[in-house]
Amino acid sequence: MTDDTTKRFAGVPFTRRNFLQMISVAGVSSGLASFHLHAATGPGPSAAAGSRGAAQTSVSMLVNGQQKTLSVDNRTTLLDALRDHLQLTGTKKGCDHGQCGACTVHVNGRRVNVCLSLAAMHDGDTITTIEGLGQPGALHPMQQAFVDHDGYQCGYCTSGQIMSAVAVLKEPWGGDDASIREAMSGNICRCGAYKNILAAIKQVKSA
Amino acid sequence: MMGWAEMNEASSYVDLPVVGKPLRRIDGPLKVSGSARYASDFSFPEMVYAVPVCATVARAHIAAIDTAAAEAMAGVRKIYTRQNIGKFYRVSKASKAKIDEARPPLDDDEVRYYGQYVALVIADTFEQATAAARAVQVRYTNVQAPLVSARLDSDKPPETETERGDPDASYEKAAVKVDHTYSTPVETHNPIELHASVALWDGTRFTLYETTQAVMNFRAVMAQMLGVPTDSVRVITEYLGSGFGGKLWPWTQALLAAAAARDLKRPVKLVVDRQMMFHNVGHRPSTQQRIRLGADASGKLTSLRQDYLYQRASLAEYKEDCGEATGFMYSTPDLRVTSAYAERSVGPATSMRGPGAVPGLYALESAMDELAVALNMDPIALRLHNEPQIDEKENIPFSSRHLKECLTRGAEVFGWSRRQAKVGSMRDGDAILGWGVAACSWIAERFAAEVAVTLQADGSVRVASATQDIGTGTYTVIAQMAAGLAGVDVEKVKVVIGDSSLPPGPWSGGSMATGSMVPVLIQAIEQAGGQLVQIAAEEGKRFNGAKADQLAFTRGRIHRRDQDPSSGVSFSELLQEAKTGHVEGHGKAEGTFGQKKKTHSTHSFGAHFVEVKWQPELARLRVQRVLTVIDAGRIVNPLTGQNQIEGAVVMGIGMAMFEETHYEPRTGMAVNSNLADYIMTSHADMPPDMQVIFLDYPDTKVNAMGVRGIGEIGLAGIAAAIANAAYHATGVRVRDLPIRIEDLLSESRNG
Repeated sequence: MTDDTTKRFAGVPFTRRNFLQMISVAGVSSGLASFHLHAATGPGPSAAAGSRGAAQTSVSMLVNGQQKTLSVDNRTTLLDALRDHLQLTGTKKGCDHGQCGACTVHVNGRRVNVCLSLAAMHDGDTITTIEGLGQPGALHPMQQAFVDHDGYQCGYCTSGQIMSAVAVLKEPWGGDDASIREAMSGNICRCGAYKNILAAIKQVKSA
Repeated sequence: MMGWAEMNEASSYVDLPVVGKPLRRIDGPLKVSGSARYASDFSFPEMVYAVPVCATVARAHIAAIDTAAAEAMAGVRKIYTRQNIGKFYRVSKASKAKIDEARPPLDDDEVRYYGQYVALVIADTFEQATAAARAVQVRYTNVQAPLVSARLDSDKPPETETERGDPDASYEKAAVKVDHTYSTPVETHNPIELHASVALWDGTRFTLYETTQAVMNFRAVMAQMLGVPTDSVRVITEYLGSGFGGKLWPWTQALLAAAAARDLKRPVKLVVDRQMMFHNVGHRPSTQQRIRLGADASGKLTSLRQDYLYQRASLAEYKEDCGEATGFMYSTPDLRVTSAYAERSVGPATSMRGPGAVPGLYALESAMDELAVALNMDPIALRLHNEPQIDEKENIPFSSRHLKECLTRGAEVFGWSRRQAKVGSMRDGDAILGWGVAACSWIAERFAAEVAVTLQADGSVRVASATQDIGTGTYTVIAQMAAGLAGVDVEKVKVVIGDSSLPPGPWSGGSMATGSMVPVLIQAIEQAGGQLVQIAAEEGKRFNGAKADQLAFTRGRIHRRDQDPSSGVSFSELLQEAKTGHVEGHGKAEGTFGQKKKTHSTHSFGAHFVEVKWQPELARLRVQRVLTVIDAGRIVNPLTGQNQIEGAVVMGIGMAMFEETHYEPRTGMAVNSNLADYIMTSHADMPPDMQVIFLDYPDTKVNAMGVRGIGEIGLAGIAAAIANAAYHATGVRVRDLPIRIEDLLSESRNG
């Protein structure tokens, strides 16, 4: 989340300031761990505390090319919204703290650790998850390259690795191996398939 | 060309088509598209979410748990404590079912480690359950300081594990001696997949989606602890986001989820969060190992002693068996290994990749390097000079030991002859290079296994066994072995695993799953072949009335015993002709692991060669180059096999340079219980140059295909090779892992 982000939020122009107000009303817990905010109190969002006790927000997103509208608890991360509300379970939860990269998806074309991003912030956004990148029989070249080079073992961090890899090739990094490694270092592979992941990325890069 | 008669001999199983080929994983497209389903990916209608409440002290009595505020929160369905969780039973040792934390969850009011589950919140959504779990108030009395000191002192007299000759006397007389203590810290497995349980109860039976490396054991434990018949529990692990031993045996969250599902009559999902993963689901305990080596002037070992201590959790008897490989690695007439433990107020420890051997060989292979320095001898020459003829611990021959070739082949490929022995003498520009070597070993045995194999009229083969693919490539290597045996392409094989309702398969542990499947696959496919032969004989037409005993089944083809298999018919054609859908064969074999009377010592071996780059002006130590040579029998798939070894080396870089779980002395909390503060090897830490060589000597004493295991051996010895290389570069001998920059700076500057 950046200060200059301005998005529609429950019909209200969304800025960092009113975002803080809104989540201070909702109370932050869930995926954001013990992250306590003490923002100035003020009027909450239009979607006030409902029957479930926590504010709900209606969010409309273009997910893998399909328009999706859902009502989410304001505490729901985009990761949990994708997994629990949209059943897009290819995106994984590994730490819930933005430290492992397993939850990497593309938001408006850029890679984001969505365990650190509340679903309510993404009204109007375009989201691509691993399922939207390609499916068996019609894999994205990066997915195919991971298969070709055995760029995984258990497969759990793989969705995040692939989403990051696809984004890295569009980012302004140097072309050498060390630059790719640096750019990919937010995605931990505990199985240690890094050599093969690098080979997969280079295959796509040189294609 | 080999005739069919020769091919039918047992030795022919080592040269099956497809086995030994670097095939892409058959489950690859599912893994790269998000389609492979892991435990926490399963959701069901009416499902509710469980979030545990964890103790915030390590040793205390729970005086009261106030759930009122939490219960009033939106979406909360129930809060469980000891008062209302219901009855759990204990696992009997007689049942041989395994669990490290044998105490049932919420069993009493005593807290024994930080993070212990003390209550469980169930709510309609994850967010509601998480918020309510934070609102549960736990009041503790009799709070005591936890025992979490990293320095270990023995609580009890040491036990002798193995002994031969008189190592004390020969040490006294030795021309050259080394006596040092090496320590390894608590390490946390940290698979990226969080442990998770999704529990369903239908009024009679449990269906449990679990993160386990052993669905059969999981079922056995859950049935006993939940007090239901074994056949009322089904455990499913279609895909596992790795485990490294941490997911071998069940942990208590599974019982909580199952009990809540039974009580609420709803599916329950419980995902263990990353912080809990540092407390509640095991770790590799810390060790302190004193190694004393004595040698004559030529470098021949005369005495080897290893006296080690390991940290033991108050709640579990897990032992870190650091002497696992010590007794047979090198030839020496006099040897003794002793062990003792120091109890600590931490969550239970458990096996972590290469348990025992990995910390043990870090110490032994570091000490061997120190002995080489003391002798002014090349460390490879020292190891070659002490190669044993037999396993001197058990006094039996090795089934297949090629450690010498691992060392010499590796030396040749690595360019070891260019190594300058003097510390800090090898340069790359302004940087100093260090070269280190270490040997490694790991057990090669089989677990009990069963399998059902169906040969189908459409030419496909179905293999079913309740084993698991934990990332090692089990789906693929089973398909390769079955394809080779049944004479079909790998694409024709469907592998069904990860479900306790299938024939009982091996645990995915000890690097033994693949090797355990070999005899049962052979047996099952040949049994199916026997049925095909009978079908052919009964049909009569195809082989002009040949009787069953005149026919044979070879690699999927039914043929006259006195003719080549190519003269016969494929199983698919025969089944179609006979209008039979399929034949099914079963294989069942006892394990060898743990059996007493052995004729051969069965182990894998290997050697790591490491180059580190030390930049003193930046205080930067990097692993630049790693070559690993492995003698692990026939490698079924060199592509996935190489990945296993490289992955272990990557983890070994973490063990050598980054990983350590720190316990906070007041609360007993693992303070670095997150993936930013518990540092694991990242892409950027990768050595630019990594190479793996498999010697590929089939070991038919382990099974007919000569397959041993490769999941763990790569982590053994690598930390020593890195530490030895760091010494060669800097002159600083780090004996307490991980190697810290400050260790290298403080002493190398002085030096």
